[in-house]
Amino acid sequence: MVRNLKLYGAFLIASLKKMMLYRIDCLVGMFSQVAFQVIELVFIWIVFQNTETIAGWNFEQLLLLYGVMMLSVSVTELLFDATYDIGRKLIRKGKFDTTLLRPVHPLVSILGDSESYTALGYIVISLILIVAMLIRLHIAVTFLLVMKIVYFGILGGFIIGGIQTIFSVAGLWSYKSNEIVWSVFQLHKLAQYPIGIYNRFIKLLISGILPFAFASYYPTLDYLGQQQNYLILLTPCIALLIWMIAIKIWNWALKKYRSTGN
Amino acid sequence: MIHKIWAIAKQNANESLYYRFDLLLYIFNFLVEITVYIFIWLSIYQNGNQILGMDFQQITTYYILVVSLNPIIVWGINEGMGTAIREGEILRELLHPISYFEYYFGMRIGELIEATIVGILTFGICALLFGVLPPAGILNFLFFVIVVCLAVVVIYFFELILGMTAFYTDTIWGVEVLKRAILNIFSGMIAPITLFPGFLQKIANILPFKDCVYTPINIYFGELSQIEIVQVIGKQCLWILILYVFAKIVFHKAIKNITVNGG
Repeated sequence: MVRNLKLYGAFLIASLKKMMLYRIDCLVGMFSQVAFQVIELVFIWIVFQNTETIAGWNFEQLLLLYGVMMLSVSVTELLFDATYDIGRKLIRKGKFDTTLLRPVHPLVSILGDSESYTALGYIVISLILIVAMLIRLHIAVTFLLVMKIVYFGILGGFIIGGIQTIFSVAGLWSYKSNEIVWSVFQLHKLAQYPIGIYNRFIKLLISGILPFAFASYYPTLDYLGQQQNYLILLTPCIALLIWMIAIKIWNWALKKYRSTGN
Repeated sequence: MIHKIWAIAKQNANESLYYRFDLLLYIFNFLVEITVYIFIWLSIYQNGNQILGMDFQQITTYYILVVSLNPIIVWGINEGMGTAIREGEILRELLHPISYFEYYFGMRIGELIEATIVGILTFGICALLFGVLPPAGILNFLFFVIVVCLAVVVIYFFELILGMTAFYTDTIWGVEVLKRAILNIFSGMIAPITLFPGFLQKIANILPFKDCVYTPINIYFGELSQIEIVQVIGKQCLWILILYVFAKIVFHKAIKNITVNGG
């Protein structure tokens, strides 16, 4: 376990160094991330031109929630971006077999190839957004709160990354996992808003079945100082559970896998 | 000329329709998007807010039409243009016995075929899930279709101009995202333009993108008189002419600048 984590870190750093070579791609990547954020922020802004609150949440609180989700999403991107590459880059071109030959679990070396360092800039933006909203909401930014934000940000990244890893297994058969992982990832948008606005089915979906809400909604409730929020204590258990499922499914899939190369 | 364009369109459509499962995923993504929109507006209506004379049924229908029009308007040729330039394929495209503009128009029509299938299926599923208002009349629906078709031509030339920046930079991702941001905001996809704050409304009124989504939906609702509809169509034709001439000028400049990789 510890060895695997160490190797994962080493792979990750190697791929980051590789990507740093292409500065222009990096700038374009960052720019596009910001542009996509702008669309959604303009939407939220327009909505609040027409109402005071959404399900009891005001503009600043909603942006705080948005920032918390953005933090989790950027941690996911930084650590687990390679889930998009499994079908397209690895299986179809036969590179996947190389990872099978390495003396380390294939998942470790695949995920370690994540190279979305644009996420680094993104993490900074989301932290600025979170702190700015906390200040505007007159919530004291204590050391404990900052630790909490970092802690839940990382856990949120692991929850979303785990969900992506589970679905990325489809790439072993469809040879193009990126679309399905992307579709599942898109569900995080549901958890960008207070879950009080949804019906029971969607509430269950994003807090129970695919627990995106634990990457945004429940931590935000905690930062806002909601008292009876015991659900938040479950977050690490949920992250762990998702990863256990992900690894089980991957191990099962690896036994069934047949190469496309020869 | 038309049968050449049609041949390219069919080929491109066949290629993308080969991945049927992807179509389902696209529809799924649009369903997620509309779910967010509908529940947010629902909670606002439950707060007792009244939004500019639109009732909840209308705003639901508005967003269902938005997500159904989204692939038709937003998917385009930019990615294909970028790949062709980066991988040196552009050389063959320029030597084709069909002009560069015609070739990509064919590609755009091919995209449109796939997008229309996704759009109609999305509309059907959303109508079942959330309920949808029918068009105000048969004539309204007809004009809705005409204005959307013209909008596709406007967008095509816009894409062509944006895509030609890749002749200089070799990468197209940036302009593709820029295009999406502009279209999403100023066509009225994120919200009906009347809900925008004043200065954004002014910008949206100047740009041609309003007539790609916001205007056709209002025609669908029967909010525009026939004279206004004719004016919109005239305005679109004018924009097509302007963008066409501009695209020609840019093309003749850009073509001298091209470097072909591996050519």
